[in-house]
Amino acid sequence: MDKLASMLHMTPAIFWMVVKVVIVFAGVMSLAAVWTWVERRGSAMIQDRIGPNRARLFGRWPILGLAQIAADGIKFFFKEDLVPTDANKRLFWLAPFLAFVPALMGFAVIPFGKSFVSGGQTYHLALLDPGNGMGMLYPLAIGGMAVYGVLVAAWSSNNKWSILGGMRASAAMVSYEIGLSLAVISIFMTTGGYDPSEVISAQGHLPWAWNIVRQPLGFIVFFTCMFAETNRLPFDFAEGESEIVAGFNTEYGSMKYSLLALAEYSHLMTASALIATLYFGGWQVPFVKDPTVMLSVASFLLKMLFFAWVFVWIRWTVPRFRYDQLMHLGWKVMLPLSMANLIFHAWRMSQGH
Amino acid sequence: MAVIVKKVELTWLDRTYVWPVMKGMGITFQHFLKQLFTPTAKRYTIQYPDMKKEMPAGYRGLHELKRFEDGAIKCVACFMCQEACPARCISIEAEEFSDLNITQGFEEKRPAVFKIDMLRCIYCGMCEEACPKDAIWLRNDYEVAAYDRLSMQFGKWDLMNTYAEADGKDSLGQDPTPSVPRRTIAM
Repeated sequence: MDKLASMLHMTPAIFWMVVKVVIVFAGVMSLAAVWTWVERRGSAMIQDRIGPNRARLFGRWPILGLAQIAADGIKFFFKEDLVPTDANKRLFWLAPFLAFVPALMGFAVIPFGKSFVSGGQTYHLALLDPGNGMGMLYPLAIGGMAVYGVLVAAWSSNNKWSILGGMRASAAMVSYEIGLSLAVISIFMTTGGYDPSEVISAQGHLPWAWNIVRQPLGFIVFFTCMFAETNRLPFDFAEGESEIVAGFNTEYGSMKYSLLALAEYSHLMTASALIATLYFGGWQVPFVKDPTVMLSVASFLLKMLFFAWVFVWIRWTVPRFRYDQLMHLGWKVMLPLSMANLIFHAWRMSQGH
Repeated sequence: MAVIVKKVELTWLDRTYVWPVMKGMGITFQHFLKQLFTPTAKRYTIQYPDMKKEMPAGYRGLHELKRFEDGAIKCVACFMCQEACPARCISIEAEEFSDLNITQGFEEKRPAVFKIDMLRCIYCGMCEEACPKDAIWLRNDYEVAAYDRLSMQFGKWDLMNTYAEADGKDSLGQDPTPSVPRRTIAM
């Protein structure tokens, strides 16, 4: 690695940083793209259909319809890029990026593998090294930024349906963030720190010591709130075919629409990575005390992809909520539950557990 | 009349919402696995250009003009189908033919021209019902399409050969016996 770095006229530290940025961002982005395919094929299978299986790579290899991703991308790039006449043009252009960038950035602190030592230097498998002072607060804060993407997209379109969708979605996201934060705070409390590496090492390698077993109530609250945060069914209030045309992205087309859709899937990836880190021991391999680096990365990926699949799975199982039911659930159920969880664990800690 | 709506009493387990969601997820996952491990041929979806639906026995698709074993047309040009046709898509012109071996020198009738306008045909099967000789059948081919209107005018030989390939028969282009010129009967 040092040789490669010197060949590129970079110090090993910077080279490692570049490699990590490429791995994390390219990895999450391509996973998000693949997940559009998983969503379509998975939903088809759940509904006894077949799904997209016609697109072929170079018109020859069907590869289970995976070429559909490329076909969709090419199609989106070559479509006409319309901006409505009365739209706020600058914000209209900015909104997809405002939605996409925070969805990717949340991944930066999450350790996707075990740190290792090579040539007297410690390499951490997370974009931001542990002990950066932001810890798990960072993805939560960045997740809050995602509201802007939806809201700016809705506002700049100058379309009443878009604004309705955007307002609804941002209200839902903001109200669910409270329950989510309280659920995470009780984890910080029991861990005694808010750095993701601390959270992971506190959970250990034994599955019954993971936070899912210690705080099942917190997990349910966190998981539910994540659906509202990522704006996916059953809480997809940014969109609504039957009531507000298409929602916040009504006026969007071509690659801008595609970016908004990709933002949703990147958000999904970040959310499932957060769930895996906070409640399922991150890169810890069950029953293996000191896993190799590759094994830990594989373990993390497996957990993350499983939860990404659960997001898809639930979307095609559970019907949508009505808006007042969503608010009822958020304020009258999720918030008291997460508070009860917090108080219970505070009490337990005061009893010396 | 009042409609009595049955109220469903939810148990506490249902009220948690978590357990019913998990039950629902179990159901959807069963469907997922079932569909995943069903071979393509047995799935509900028929992948059209690759797979085709087996049409039921009474299906009324593209017509066939039936033939005898020697390749002679069964149709006797009686015009019953032309009369029965509600869409008026059949047009027939008759001719006479005679052969010592087959017709013992008598003159018999057959269509010189038998045209069906497939753009007009409604596949009602009335021609099949009307035919006294069972000479016209509506069979299972439903892929009747062409790039221009003229190709949809099916003539006598087109109609006789529509299922020749599917049945493994020869494609015909000529009657086994020549027609005889129409004679005026001496009064």
